[in-house]
Amino acid sequence: MIVCLAVVGHQNNPLYIQSFTDADDALKLHHIVHCSLDVIDERVNNPKKSSPTINEAFLGLLYPTENYKAYGYLTNTKVKFILVTTDLDVRDADVRSFFRRFHTAYVDAVSNPFHIPGKKITSKTFAERVSTIVKSFGLSSAS
Amino acid sequence: MVREVSESCVESLLAEIVLSYCSGFYANKPELAARRIEAIGFQVGHQLSERYTMDRPRFTDNLEAIKFICKDFWSELFKKQIDNLKTNHRGTFVLQDNKFRWLAHMSIDPSVQASGNIQDPSAMAENKSAQATGMHLYFPCGIIRGALSNLGIACAVSADISNLPACSFVIRIKA
Repeated sequence: MIVCLAVVGHQNNPLYIQSFTDADDALKLHHIVHCSLDVIDERVNNPKKSSPTINEAFLGLLYPTENYKAYGYLTNTKVKFILVTTDLDVRDADVRSFFRRFHTAYVDAVSNPFHIPGKKITSKTFAERVSTIVKSFGLSSAS
Repeated sequence: MVREVSESCVESLLAEIVLSYCSGFYANKPELAARRIEAIGFQVGHQLSERYTMDRPRFTDNLEAIKFICKDFWSELFKKQIDNLKTNHRGTFVLQDNKFRWLAHMSIDPSVQASGNIQDPSAMAENKSAQATGMHLYFPCGIIRGALSNLGIACAVSADISNLPACSFVIRIKA
């Protein structure tokens, strides 16, 4: 289950952050997201030269904690997506396809002429779309 | 999903933007009108670059980003690539389009020599038709600048009309 999703701008300013749990643990999840930012910076600035997918948007597993796994994605426009999940056996392909769909939703949201670049995304349509994508996460693998 | 936009609509819209800014809102301040039109282009470029770079790996250097503008970005916008790219390898790039679509249907009084640099205010005063054409180029200049700045490259873009409908865009990357 995805518990938290964040979109962070190129100056590490939060553009969208949403947790999907009933419990009152938003702060804890935001902390994980915050920590992931450093991991992303590290990955991007010191890439492993041997890796074939050196400049791929999908950054893979950022760091596992005891209960959570954080995945990252960095767009060409230096916008970071961070996903925090409680599933401990997640397939990379699922996360990849999730980020792809999320990226499409994000692009549609920021293409709105009334959206101000660099400001938080407040669109309700975007929020609804995101929650649909979040709900469908991992379902394809089960079937 | 590919969405198409009528070309004549875009052309009319551009002409109308230029007209209303130059002779409506800021009739007496051409620099201000130019800045406003450029700003509209900036937002358009900013948003388009987000969409068109979706499926690409990240760019490693500036040249790669400029090449993207010349090839893929230009193809998406104008269904053709930039015809010639020159660079001095010190942050200046000249993108030449031999048949720029937004100037293709523009006619100019043949008695007036249609040449001039829109960056140069004295040339602008001398040559009214070049000025009018130059006004139409602030929008594409803004698009290029918006796209590049969204890719993390701060730059200044100006345009040159050499011989209609050919035109060139000069990108100067800020160090």
